[in-house]
Amino acid sequence: MATDDLTLVKRVRSGDQRAFKLLVERYQRKVYAVALGMLKDKEESMDVSQEAFVKVYKYLDHFKGDSSFYTWLYRITVNICIDVLRKRGGGGEVVEFDENQAMDLSEARIGALGSRLGTNPQKSALRRELAEKIQEALATVPEKHRAILLLREIEGMSYEDLARTLDIPKGTVMSRLFHARAKVQKILSEYLELDEAKSGVGSE
Amino acid sequence: MAGNPACERFVPMLSPYVDGELTPAERVNVERHLGACRDCTGRAADLRAESGLLRVGLDMAVDDVDFKDFAQKVMARVTPEKPPLLERLKLALSEMFLYQRTAMVSSLATAAVLVLVGLPLLLSDRAPVGYGAERMTVKSIQPYQDARVAPVVMETDNGGTIIWLVDEETQDGSPSEEDEELEEDIGGGLRGKGKGPKPLGKPKTDVERPSGGPL
Repeated sequence: MATDDLTLVKRVRSGDQRAFKLLVERYQRKVYAVALGMLKDKEESMDVSQEAFVKVYKYLDHFKGDSSFYTWLYRITVNICIDVLRKRGGGGEVVEFDENQAMDLSEARIGALGSRLGTNPQKSALRRELAEKIQEALATVPEKHRAILLLREIEGMSYEDLARTLDIPKGTVMSRLFHARAKVQKILSEYLELDEAKSGVGSE
Repeated sequence: MAGNPACERFVPMLSPYVDGELTPAERVNVERHLGACRDCTGRAADLRAESGLLRVGLDMAVDDVDFKDFAQKVMARVTPEKPPLLERLKLALSEMFLYQRTAMVSSLATAAVLVLVGLPLLLSDRAPVGYGAERMTVKSIQPYQDARVAPVVMETDNGGTIIWLVDEETQDGSPSEEDEELEEDIGGGLRGKGKGPKPLGKPKTDVERPSGGPL
């Protein structure tokens, strides 16, 4: 049975380097996926992922253990990503949502994604082009909303964990997630609609 | 927003609904609405599809990446300087016992068996064959005054060396009485019981050969 995170953290604190390597190997893929979803750039995402683990190691004594290790790790990752995005600057494309305003879903083609992909799309059925479109769609979502969406989808974090990780109220998590999903969904539906028209598959 | 005015209330609840984050009472309300609203049923299906699509899409992007050296690179950055040798040994041993206990225990057991069996065999090899496996040591060296001896060096089959010191021949051609005593002093156990090598007829030596008489 795999050793749990907190036990490994204790071992790292007592000087066991191998325990830290195990933690890195355990979370490297997911940390990278979050970074890639946030930054869209592979090399930058790899650097940020390494940086996140280095920071975790450096500040391990600050980790109280009252939350799970991974929420702390993801918070660090997301913060580094946000810093990188801000340093990049000039990203005028990203506009913060007004979270109090209801999202207008009328433009989106209701049921387009569901009918085209089902609830559990398989890798084999997913074209690389579509995977790239997903990253493009994510890039249009404001960074804070994007972080929530990624942590929810990649790590399957509960709203409670998301609130703790990002230090925001649970209601804000719900609202940001709703807006982020609506935005991504709209772009992907449009892409699929266009794709259907191109390939001559009959639409309604 | 949508044709059905009730949708305005339920649409924001669809995201937490597909995530399983609604209270049981809210869930019942949403499901009742979904039963009556085709649009919201489509929206809920879209949310589920989107969720799966994001997960699989990002997973695909991560699959392209080689993480073989990732952990090594991180470790190199967090441990730039090496701890002292003793500290490293201590840590390496404790880590080995922690993560490869079975392998370590079996290795130690094998090493112990090898030591127990191999060491006596090695030690026994050191004794020259032909002397009852006794170990020979030099007890003392006693130079005799006016001694006239000639060394006879012999090599045994297993590479050992036996040196005999032989008195030079006396005038009457018989070995002196001191001869045997000298052998005893140097060899300790040179006088084997019938197994010892016979003295050579002609000792190989560069020194001036004794004049006449058998050795």
